[in-house]
Parts: sequence; C-alpha cells; structure tokens
Amino acid sequence: MDYLINGVLAALALLADPDEATLSAIRASLISTAWAILVAFALGLPLGFVLGYCRFFGRNALRLVSDTLLAFPTVLIGLLVYALITSRGLLGEYGLLFSLPGMAIGQAVLAGPIVTSWTAQAVENLDPRCAGTLLTLGADRWQTAALTLWECRYAIGMVLITAFGRVVTEVGIAMMLGGNIRYATRTMTTAIALETSKGEFAQGIALGLVLLLIAFGVNIILAMLKRRGRV
Amino acid sequence: MNEISSGPQDGHGPLYEGHGIVQIYNGHRALAIDNVTVMHGEVVCLVGPNGCGKSTLLRILALLEEPASGTLAVHGIAGRKDVTLLLQEPYLLNMSVYANVVLGLRLQHRMKGAKEAYVLAMRDAGFPEPFAFAERSPSELSGGERQRIALASRLILTPKVLLLDEPTANVDAKSARAVARAILKTRNGGATIVCATHDPALIRATEARTIRLGRTWDEEPSVTPDLEA
Repeated sequence: MDYLINGVLAALALLADPDEATLSAIRASLISTAWAILVAFALGLPLGFVLGYCRFFGRNALRLVSDTLLAFPTVLIGLLVYALITSRGLLGEYGLLFSLPGMAIGQAVLAGPIVTSWTAQAVENLDPRCAGTLLTLGADRWQTAALTLWECRYAIGMVLITAFGRVVTEVGIAMMLGGNIRYATRTMTTAIALETSKGEFAQGIALGLVLLLIAFGVNIILAMLKRRGRV
Repeated sequence: MNEISSGPQDGHGPLYEGHGIVQIYNGHRALAIDNVTVMHGEVVCLVGPNGCGKSTLLRILALLEEPASGTLAVHGIAGRKDVTLLLQEPYLLNMSVYANVVLGLRLQHRMKGAKEAYVLAMRDAGFPEPFAFAERSPSELSGGERQRIALASRLILTPKVLLLDEPTANVDAKSARAVARAILKTRNGGATIVCATHDPALIRATEARTIRLGRTWDEEPSVTPDLEA
C-alpha cells in the first residue's frame, strides 16, 4: 500500500506545482473534448429535436439506430475513424491521424448518439400541454418549436454535461486516434494508462484526481440543473 | 371543415355557427352536436356531464382542430390569433410569472406597454399586488394561483374570443369570484366568452347563456341536440 500512499502524496505535490507534461495532458483533454462536444451538439441537437418533436415515417427506426449507437464500443469507433483518417483513408490527405482534431472526430462520434437520443427523449418527455398552450397564446409553428426546445433547456444542459463527462473520461478513442504523443495528444486518460503501465503512479494519480474533480464539478452542475428544471 | 370570414366587426350577429359537428378520436366519438350558435359579445357556458365533449368543442372553437365532419363558420375574426383558450389544467412554462403572463404578447410582437398590461391583467385575475408575483417560478405557486396566472396570460391578450375550460375547477370561492368578474369585464370590453363549466355559481355570476351537451350518441344512432337550457 505504501506505493499508493506515496503516489497520492506525490500527486498532491504535483497538483500544487504542476509540470508541463501534466498541464499538457489536461489541456489536450479539454481541447479535444470541447471540439467533440461542439460538433456533437451542432449535429445531434437538431437531429434529436426533430426525432423527438416531429412525427414522420421512419422516425421510430431512426430512434432505434440512435439508441443502439449509445452502446457503440469506443475501440470500434476508434477503429472506424482510424480507417477514415489514416493516410489511405477517405480523409487521409488532411493529416488528422494522431492529432487533436482527429481525436475530436472520434469523440464526436461517441458523443453524437448521446446528444441525439437524449435530446429526443427530453423533447418527448416534455408535458404535451406545452405545445397546446403556446398555440393558444398565438404562437406560429416555428415559435412553438423554438419555445418547446427552450422549455427543454435544463434537460439539454444535462445532456451536455453528461456527454462531456463521457468524452473527457474516455481512453480507447484517444489512444487509437491520438497516439498518446507527449505534449501533443497525450490526454489525462491516456497519460494515466501509460504512467500506470510504467509503475509511475504519481502523475497517474494526479491526473486521476483532476478527472475526479471534473466529474465532481459536472455532478454539481447536474444537480443544480435538475433542481432548476423541476417545475 | 372550418370557414373563417373576417367580415364586419360591429359586435352583432353570430360569431360561431356550427352544423352537424362530430369529432372522433381513435375511433371513438368524442362530440356530436347538430347546431351550435354563439353570438358576438355574449357569455356562453357549455354544460353537461363528463365526457360529453365540452373540451373538444372548445378546441374546435379555438380553431386548434377541425371536426371529423360538419361545418363551423366563424364570422368577424381574422384567425386563430383572435381566439385564445385556457385549458382545464393550464401549463405554465418554466420561466417567471411575468414572462409567462406576457408570453402571448411577446409571441405576437405586441410588447409595447407590456408592463402596464401585466398589471391590469393580473389585477383582473385576482392578484391585487401583481409585482409580488412577477419573479416567482410556477413551481412556487399553488394550483389555484397557477390557474389564475394562466387566466391573466389570456386576459392580457385582450382577445376577441376567450374560451375557458373549467376556469374555476381548481380555485377557492374568492378566486372563483375574481374569475367571474374577469369574464364580465372581458365581455364588457366587447369580447365573446365561451366557457365549459360545472359551476352553477359561475353561470349565475356571469349571466351566461348555457348550451347543454349530452352523451346522447351512446344510446341513439342519430344525435339529438339539446342546446338551450
């Protein structure tokens, strides 16, 4: 147990005075996650809203696909996106492999179904009287749709931070698409995996604590959103 | 089928003229009425047992849905924006009371003078201190307060046609009197009010004409209307 206790003590010292490698891993994690969430929301939010709000042929099939993709294994996502961005792949000419944008693409594929399915669920769960009320107040079709989305804002905020939490703690995609390159694509999770395999617990635990802090912060925001969303 | 004619708005003559209106949900008949007429500027109460189609008729009059068969002619209004319906269990959006009450004005791009209109509408709905509620969330309100806030959000629109579904169902006697006063004031302002209710006190207080609906189609193949009470 001594090595764990020593690791925690060294981690606390490292957090108090972080070195460049630790800061770089935190930075890489946050940048790739932010881009991934941005892309996932840009595509997943409108798609999820349409799936939850509109009634059209094929909607249930699309919901099923989206829900199934929630269980998409991260290594499989890594493999598929790797095939896409490798030098022989469709996007090979852009040099995305082993870069932060390449990692962000894979992580966006991971976050996309979360955003889509849970946005659709949030819209479906909204009180059906909401749309009727808006119509009786003189709203047109577009105003009704926009305000329905606005009414789901707390639930969508929860989708956002859930997706963020899922992506920032993910390791398979980051390892396969980022290549775990020091000071470049090494994230907190891949650094923890590497340092642990080397028997260097201090940096691993330090980064683990940062991840825990992020998870803690995310849960605090989640709890606040849940409270505010309760009418 | 609904027919809307803007026509002259002199406050006289029929507003709604419905013939042979039948509504069907999931294969079940929810409403069947041979003739229904509502004149401009009157207060009409729809009465009858549960399930006789009062709420269904209100939704049709609100132009939110079309009947499965029959015709409804609407005279003297431009369209759905002149009509507003207060549901039996009103929904308030997850925003402040003030934002909820002025929401209709915002949707119709009529925000000029909204604060003054808010005060008037809230007072008419029985809130003597309107700004004491302005920043409160709907979750902090009682059922009766929510009902009256929802009523204020309709009154503020100064609609030509105000449709109310059981407006006194969730409120105490004092609030019910406030609702009746609001109905009379709205009528005196030139509007037409159609109200589904089980509350005889509301009918008396608003001097309303009643239209009685009955579930006659359960027993008889052809519908017999029973309009005037």
